[in-house]
Amino acid sequence: MLRFLLRRIGQAVAVVAGVILLTFVIQRVIPGDPAVAAVGPKASLEQLAQARHDFGLDQSLPIQLWNYAVGLLHGDLGTSLHTHQAVRHDLGAAFPASLELVGAGIVLAALIGVPAGVLAARYRRRSADAAIRVNSMLAVSVPTFWFALVLQELFATKLGWFPVAGEYTSSLDQTSPLHIYTNMTLLDSLITGNWPIFTSLIDHLVLPVIVVAAYPAGVIAQLTRAALIEEITQDHTRMERSLGFSERSVLLRFSMRPALNPVLSVAALVFAYSIVNTFLVESVFNWPGLGSYAVDAIRSSDTPAIAGVTLLVASTYVVLNLLVDLVQSMVDPRVRLS
Amino acid sequence: MRRIIAISSAVIMAVAVAGCGGGKLRSQPKTSGTGNNKTFVYSYSLDVVTDWDPATSYSNEIIAMENIYESLTKYDPQTKKVSPRLATSWHAADAGKTWTFTLRTGVKFHSGRTLDAAAAKDAIDRTIKLKGGPAYIWDSVSSIQAPAADTLVFHLKYAAPLDLIASSDYAAYIYDTKAAGTTDLKTWLSKGHDAGSGPYTVGSWNKGQETEVRLTAFKDYWGGWKSNQFQAVEFRVTPQVTTAWQLLQRQQVSFVFRLTPQLFAQAQQNKSLHTSYASSFENLLAFFNTASGPMADLRVRKAVQSAIDVKGLIAALKGSGVAASGVIPEGLIGYHDGLTLQQNLPTARSLLAAAGYGPGHKPLTLSLTYAQGDTDQQLFVTLLTSALSQLGVKLNAKPEQWNAQWDQGKSTDPSKHQDIFVMYWYPDYADPYSWFANLFHSANPPYFNMSYLADKSVDNSIDAMPALTATDHAQAEAAYGGLQTEIIQNQAAVAPLFVQNYQRAYLASINGYVANPAYPDVVFVHDLTTGS
Repeated sequence: MLRFLLRRIGQAVAVVAGVILLTFVIQRVIPGDPAVAAVGPKASLEQLAQARHDFGLDQSLPIQLWNYAVGLLHGDLGTSLHTHQAVRHDLGAAFPASLELVGAGIVLAALIGVPAGVLAARYRRRSADAAIRVNSMLAVSVPTFWFALVLQELFATKLGWFPVAGEYTSSLDQTSPLHIYTNMTLLDSLITGNWPIFTSLIDHLVLPVIVVAAYPAGVIAQLTRAALIEEITQDHTRMERSLGFSERSVLLRFSMRPALNPVLSVAALVFAYSIVNTFLVESVFNWPGLGSYAVDAIRSSDTPAIAGVTLLVASTYVVLNLLVDLVQSMVDPRVRLS
Repeated sequence: MRRIIAISSAVIMAVAVAGCGGGKLRSQPKTSGTGNNKTFVYSYSLDVVTDWDPATSYSNEIIAMENIYESLTKYDPQTKKVSPRLATSWHAADAGKTWTFTLRTGVKFHSGRTLDAAAAKDAIDRTIKLKGGPAYIWDSVSSIQAPAADTLVFHLKYAAPLDLIASSDYAAYIYDTKAAGTTDLKTWLSKGHDAGSGPYTVGSWNKGQETEVRLTAFKDYWGGWKSNQFQAVEFRVTPQVTTAWQLLQRQQVSFVFRLTPQLFAQAQQNKSLHTSYASSFENLLAFFNTASGPMADLRVRKAVQSAIDVKGLIAALKGSGVAASGVIPEGLIGYHDGLTLQQNLPTARSLLAAAGYGPGHKPLTLSLTYAQGDTDQQLFVTLLTSALSQLGVKLNAKPEQWNAQWDQGKSTDPSKHQDIFVMYWYPDYADPYSWFANLFHSANPPYFNMSYLADKSVDNSIDAMPALTATDHAQAEAAYGGLQTEIIQNQAAVAPLFVQNYQRAYLASINGYVANPAYPDVVFVHDLTTGS
């Protein structure tokens, strides 16, 4: 187990190192002088030279790469050319809000996707199965941006059931100021008992969470269905049936656990994918997360910020993959042997 | 299962314990103390603040800063002249080389300190010293004196219109250089403090949050307060214009700074909204390479100029731009009617033939660079590509990020230069000098002069403009007219395309809004009143 663990951690470190090298190269091969992004489109020659010096752009590429890597080891992702703040600080403020939104979306997706997959497998080739398959196909294929706009227009503007945008009603900052511990408003309002902000946030969360949950729910439903159908055609289920167990028991008691293994693996990857997929959702619903930060960074050619976002998302993928591998290896020893 | 419950309980308890500790407040509640709770909510598509220092600020934060800080003078879009702000009067002497400003008395900074001439001198001196943002606007200043509490005297190296310069949208703020006490002022400001004298002061700043900045009324403001004025201003970041539009319809924001032509048309039909359609000082220009490549030939430049369909472009823009008449936008000294380019394809064809290009002659391919993601520029490129193809000319148009486009344009290797460079320009104060000094004055290596024009007589005329503007308005007007004729018609170094229009909407309950092109996107909230 220890060898397996060390091997997987070594692989993860190698992938992250590769991403660091790649993000550095991308920063340097993008045409144009990054210093222009720092001092604005009408900067003087003197201001440009000063900015190049301040950001270390006047040094040779190997020295820049070395400084970048050493900085990363100390948790320094550089300074944003646009916000003029440390990228680590910016990401620390933006990422929790995205995690909150994606986390809630994945929970909702699992709550919808797994039962839907089980139902489809149980009533295979019947109308319930067909309906679930069509809906999950739709959920996976509908463009996120369009879906967000439709929900916003229908449920916020036309029907007025939910707020149009935002994280919570901003006037609450004056009447019920929030104490920040984790930068996750949901968690912070819950642990400090700030119910006005908590309830307002839940109200604001509904529409974006539905949009974020759509794709993962579709994937989880389809995968659960496929994995369960494969499982219930195995020899052990024939034996369980012959021993007189009900179809429900066969499905939920004996087939569910092994079937959920690939679902768990994919859910982790979908979680990481959703962080990027959420960028557009955040933009539509004014959600103050990583998406807004990334969009601003791209729009202003803020290469350290773009590299920071890329590194963060890639690291999330790597860490989640590692965690899934470890969990699977504990549940199923064959993973370790392979 | 028991293990999971135990771990979850431990996590919840840890978080709860943390909850009992300090934690920091996301937003410090701050009331204005001036009576009501009317809040003006400005919907903006980008993040608001990148630099809180009034000396170096040069970005989006202008929409907040102009409500926090004040300059000596302010451009008035109705009279098209500068009007008093912190200075009540001024006069020039010594042929425009000495300027004396009389300051308003009874003005206090938000720090409580009195604003006098010495404080104003300290602020401008610091701005000049830091050399950030557009501090170059003070380049003509040799020294500043404060002989009396209400008298500020500028001695200039060369004559310049200092009353206009003092109304600049950036780098002209008067601020309290001692507001931070013993702390470094820049560091103190970067935490979201302010040192202004304007009607509003910073209430809270939450970088990355939807409501990024909240300003509250400064009760000792020299302009005073009435009960129907807004006591707070919120800047709400709304990246999508469709979302901003929906928030406005539900009256959750007061003002949307830019709408698409389609949404603007809808807003005009909505009785609970007012709309504002105003011309800006920002124009789109296509620069022709006068130094190298096929466009070094004047006939080719004139042919391309004749191929441009400005009328068609304006129709396609559906109200978001008006045809440019010369390089100078309307409202500034030197603006002249009748300089709009007219498409004339037969003339273009014969000019090309005379230069040896077109059907039956050499093939001609031109390169063009423009801003990536700018749909208005894309529209121009599409129309020009189509017009030039009718003349047998191929246009290689390349959309690029500004820094990449500019890098190529100012390369020291002329073979890397494009034939046509498309970009917007806007002045830092309400004067056209900025266009000519930056865009058409010879520069080696090139900087913003993307037509690479190097003409001694044009340079001399440009160099004479600041003194002329400071001393003889009528002559300056005529001189700018002559410069435009030379650059656009005689040298064909540029094609002025369109001036951007701002299409805005705000709640019908708001009165007093006037768009001011000298301060792009700024709403002077203290000037507004509200009925509800």
